[in-house]
Amino acid sequence: MADLEQRQMLADTADRLFADATKSAETDAAGFDAALWAQAVELGLPSLLVPEGLGGAGGDWEDACVVLQAAGFHAVPLPLAEHLIAAQFAAVAGIDVPTTMLSFASAVEGRFSASRTFEGRLLGVPWGRHAGAVVALQPDRPDGVPLLIRRSDAFEVEPHVNPAGEPRDTLVTRGSPFLVGQPRPDGLLLHERLAVARCAQIAGALRAALQRSVEYAGTRKQFGRAIGQFQAVQQQLAQFGTEVAAASAAATAACRAMARLGNGVTAADARFTIGAAKLRCNLAIGVGTSTAHQVHAAIGFTREYDLRRSTQRLWSWRSEGGNDRDWSDRLGRQVCARGAEHFWSDLTARDDAASSPRE
Amino acid sequence: MPTPFTFDPVDLPPGIPAFRAEIREWLAREMPRDYPSHQRANCWAVYDADFSRRLGARGWIGMVWPKTYGGHERSPIERYVLMEELLAAGAPVGAHWIGDRQTAPAILRYGTEAQKQRYVPAVARGECFCCIGMSEPNAGSDLASVKTRAERLPDGRWKINGQKIWTTLAHKSHLIIVLARTSPQDEKNRHAGLSQFLLEFGTPGMRVQPITDLVGEQHFNEIFFEDCIVEADGLLGTEGDGWKQVTAELSLERSGPERYLSSMSLFHELLRRVGPDPASDAVRQAIGRLSAEIWTLRQMSLSVAGQLARGEDPYVQAAIVKDLGNVFEQALPPLVQSLADAGVRLEQDSDFVRTLALLLQVSPSFSLRGGTREILRGIIARGLGLR
Repeated sequence: MADLEQRQMLADTADRLFADATKSAETDAAGFDAALWAQAVELGLPSLLVPEGLGGAGGDWEDACVVLQAAGFHAVPLPLAEHLIAAQFAAVAGIDVPTTMLSFASAVEGRFSASRTFEGRLLGVPWGRHAGAVVALQPDRPDGVPLLIRRSDAFEVEPHVNPAGEPRDTLVTRGSPFLVGQPRPDGLLLHERLAVARCAQIAGALRAALQRSVEYAGTRKQFGRAIGQFQAVQQQLAQFGTEVAAASAAATAACRAMARLGNGVTAADARFTIGAAKLRCNLAIGVGTSTAHQVHAAIGFTREYDLRRSTQRLWSWRSEGGNDRDWSDRLGRQVCARGAEHFWSDLTARDDAASSPRE
Repeated sequence: MPTPFTFDPVDLPPGIPAFRAEIREWLAREMPRDYPSHQRANCWAVYDADFSRRLGARGWIGMVWPKTYGGHERSPIERYVLMEELLAAGAPVGAHWIGDRQTAPAILRYGTEAQKQRYVPAVARGECFCCIGMSEPNAGSDLASVKTRAERLPDGRWKINGQKIWTTLAHKSHLIIVLARTSPQDEKNRHAGLSQFLLEFGTPGMRVQPITDLVGEQHFNEIFFEDCIVEADGLLGTEGDGWKQVTAELSLERSGPERYLSSMSLFHELLRRVGPDPASDAVRQAIGRLSAEIWTLRQMSLSVAGQLARGEDPYVQAAIVKDLGNVFEQALPPLVQSLADAGVRLEQDSDFVRTLALLLQVSPSFSLRGGTREILRGIIARGLGLR
């Protein structure tokens, strides 16, 4: 949507906002930073993926990519990815997007009454304790009917956090109103959108861990010189660099596929691209986090040192939006079914088609 | 973080799908369906002079060069697409690969008018094959320590003495660019005093001696120069600028799709062997992971091609793609071996086993040729600001 220059401005804006905030704010991830959220809302960042006609900022996934990378880089304690996904999901499903903070449920258990009241449990809701409404897919409906369940007094929160301290709550309700949207409007499920968002965040967080490691290696002295001057350390950091580059390329390409969904990119193409990107990002997390901690040694394992803010998120996000087994199985099944004769032509056809959007 | 670690996606121009179809149609005619799979492996080391001449006649060597010198003035992205299609199909492109990729481009960049006219059109026709005269017995990764000497004679000609080694396809090539010392080594400026020379095979004083590789094939050689006389116009570019010229050549050498596709035919063989619905979770998941890696490497390689097409010099990015690509194409054969069902033994005679056995043995060279893993990671470390 935005041209390159506008996107760079958006990236710079997000970067400045998050850098200033993380310098001043307390860094415990579970502590949702309400003041920062208000600033982000003012800048239109959470509503980036909602069309302007529906009150959003009218951006696309390539715009979201730069914002989410900045959020991942600075490890901001905000439900930015979650709100972006939930708001776009509601918008494309034709549900009025509320102005409160939105999240989504990974699974739903309970009863949906004809009078549009839901009674049951919403599981794995990121930042659920702060959410004003939650989007979900109605269970037992294979076509995936999107729902938006409003937060009411009837809700109770069972608090859970991932290893990074980010809330991943269960919400229990005795009766809350819900809205119903169009089933599978663009062919992609919440899970797949989450995978793309996590890719962008992972690319940002890996970059931060790499930068911190390079800086540390340049100042930490042993045997009379900076450890970054030892070839053994340089080679490890260089390999870390190649993994960061791979994750970043994968995330950027997946976001581009999302931006061109329905316009050169089919839902099936997008699913392959998203799966490949999430899998590649997950692989990069392995090398990245182990090298970052190896270079930092003991200091990296302290609570007050900031490396953990990147690495704990990376370890958590590796399981969110599909882990290695989920995606490698899905991709493997698809590739085997198509066979050797189609592997290469499928691979090239996706990029050829994505390159020619109808404008 | 410095920009070398970003890889922006490329938009391929609109004509690409049609061009791809044209290449595939041509390859289907030129490479029979029963073309052996193990010859599709590492195919840019497979010599087939006749294939190269047919490719040249089709206009697919020297695609981006000026028409004046036998080129076809197509775009760099079209050339990239041709490269990846030839490699993915396992076409035998070894004879002309070096000339097309780096020798003729170096001549076009640094050569005299006479040199361009003499060599470039012949390379484009697929008739002049080239090789790389960089490595020496004591100058591998440390290329600046080359000892081959070129001495200017009073009449302006040059006298070359020394030795090159690991020269791929020297015994079947017509032309070599030799990196030689033209002034004594200066320990304070090791990169100074080097120059490049164009030598035609058959020049008196030049002797090629084959070296058999570990699988018993002959593809690389030693070359000895004994008072080998080169005409004055054999100098390529500027005397003393050899290092700068060679470094530019290495950028071209490192960035292409050949740095991740060398084991592709084995991936295809694996897919054929396991069939459309493999029962094993391990096999399915490994195929999924390999597919994700191939997809990512292609995104990165395309991105570098886009940067080159815009006239940028993605020196660090090229090193990143080559390092990641080599790790991948090198890890693939042992992974496939570990996944193969119990019925596979390496003495068996099938496409799958022959391809696997060959790649198991030659893939260690993938992270040596064109810059070792250690050298590449040194370049990447410098890109990170560590050196």
